[in-house]
Amino acid sequence: MSTRRRTFLGLTAAALAAPALVRAQGAAKVVVVGGGFGGATCARFLKRFAPALAVTLVERQKTYTACPFSNEVIAGLRPLERQQFGYDGLARSGVTVATTAATAVDPAARTVMLADGTRLAYDRLVVAPGIDFDWTALPGYDEKAAERLPHAWKAGAQTLLLRRQLEAMRDGGLVVIAVPAPPYRCPPAPYERASQIAWYLKNSKPRSKVLVLDAKDSFSQQPLFRRAWSDLYPDLIEWVPLSQGGNVTSVDPATLTLETDFDSHKADVANVIPPQKAGALARLAGVADRTGWCPVEPTAFESTLQPGIHVLGDAALAGAMPKAASSANAQGKACAAAIADRLAGRPPQAPRLVSGCYTLAAPDYGFSLVGVYRPDKGELREVPGAGGASPLDSDPVLRAQEARYAEGWFRATTGEIFG
Amino acid sequence: MANVLINAPKTARRGETIELKALILHPMETGFRPGANGTIIPRNIIQDFTASWNGVEIFRMRMSPAIAANPYVSFCAVASESGVVRLRWSGDNGFAVEESVTVTVT
Amino acid sequence: MRRRLAAALAASLLFAGTARAADAPPGAWSCTGCHALSSAPSVPPNPIPALTGRPAVEIAGIMREFKSRGRPATVMGRIALGFSDAEIDAIAEWLARQDH
Repeated sequence: MSTRRRTFLGLTAAALAAPALVRAQGAAKVVVVGGGFGGATCARFLKRFAPALAVTLVERQKTYTACPFSNEVIAGLRPLERQQFGYDGLARSGVTVATTAATAVDPAARTVMLADGTRLAYDRLVVAPGIDFDWTALPGYDEKAAERLPHAWKAGAQTLLLRRQLEAMRDGGLVVIAVPAPPYRCPPAPYERASQIAWYLKNSKPRSKVLVLDAKDSFSQQPLFRRAWSDLYPDLIEWVPLSQGGNVTSVDPATLTLETDFDSHKADVANVIPPQKAGALARLAGVADRTGWCPVEPTAFESTLQPGIHVLGDAALAGAMPKAASSANAQGKACAAAIADRLAGRPPQAPRLVSGCYTLAAPDYGFSLVGVYRPDKGELREVPGAGGASPLDSDPVLRAQEARYAEGWFRATTGEIFG
Repeated sequence: MANVLINAPKTARRGETIELKALILHPMETGFRPGANGTIIPRNIIQDFTASWNGVEIFRMRMSPAIAANPYVSFCAVASESGVVRLRWSGDNGFAVEESVTVTVT
Repeated sequence: MRRRLAAALAASLLFAGTARAADAPPGAWSCTGCHALSSAPSVPPNPIPALTGRPAVEIAGIMREFKSRGRPATVMGRIALGFSDAEIDAIAEWLARQDH
């Protein structure tokens, strides 16, 4: 009881100390921009941790299409609808959902301008803008070219486009996947995608091949993927690393040709994953640095460039945490807890975050990479001795179990956020 | 696994500026890193890369420990006459690799 | 005095049925990304077990077994190693109090 009273009084004190606009309204205001895994989690948990807060979630789209498991949509194993979630659950939990775009941020006045002309005041702003593509990075590859050579790196229409192209491809065709240098959204996803496409080809177009052209020499959970590929898809997937000339330097959309420094590859279906940067709002808010990503401190995910603005998910430079849905989910909770504590006048406690990334190399062949993270010397580092990948020598029962748990994670986490 | 990748045009017009690209697999071990047992791993780098066109040196590069593994070099040259472009890498522990390509100038 | 009591009462009503961040030890909310905190059955059943209705000592015991590799696991062995025994006990006690 006594801690509860302290919280309540603390909140009042914080509100009194805040600018006039807030005082007039009575409750501290938090605006969250971006309704993906990071932003929607944060909005939902802000209401959970501090129900008195006025929380507004700004998101352009009525329906969110989740990326995890979208590679199964490409393989034809899953309808896109199972990736889609609305914001009614957040609204029911007390979050004000504004279905519009944020067009400008004024960090000094602490306001966000919306496309519909509204100006929202905030005590704390959370931006979770996901990724944007760097359309200038790869000659020949722009938004128009993406209609010919889909990236499918934001789930939705692009996912279905790649699916349709695979369905239309002749047996004996060549599918080329171009993978950028890090950092990019979800490090193991290009290789899961190669596996899923191989699954489809093996079952439907067995004379076809997948060629992965990579701008790096090693990748996440490489031994597990190599094992899965030799177990499941011998001779179907070829991976060309940077040191073997894998770096794609330009594409020709007219001929579906991908040029590397040393070779030229004509594809039947080309999936080009372009280089990436933080979503546009990060630049509008002034929280992205020269790398294109957003440096943050490791307790509340507050920008080191703009006080009062927090950055979550793929857009953030979150130390050792991978750019992944479960990272964004963990960060959303940690950020919500820290904001609730701070607005109540309590010092935020150092978070312990867990990320878990599942890969499905086939419907019944799963493995995982987990990490446990904590603030250490100013950034998020892994807790030594914990985390890591699934064992390389694992029996089929365990692989199948991980595949079921992957689906279980997806349902639990999307239920917690959107349900 | 190719140890060397070279990309040079097979043909060029006289006076044309052409780009030559070469990549070699090499650990470029700096000599500053401790190994698993705590002792320093001895330096093992490529020190020199040269290119010659019909025996005339057209490009030389001195490499340092700060250059990453599998060094990739790209440079330009003016195509003056048909001939053989010879690329040579040499370094620590007697490392020496030579490759050549032919460019026909019209 | 009466006003302080009223404030306390208002606060307790405000936070009734919610779990505040400060109540949860570090890492506790990581569990719920996979494990349901509700005793209501999920449809279809989730292969990942819910964590409600278990006493703290049972949860802590299972976590220690994961940590010592004494219990077969997929991800839980790797996760449990990221927490000290005291941290595990605190999370287990918090979990035992939850049912949403």
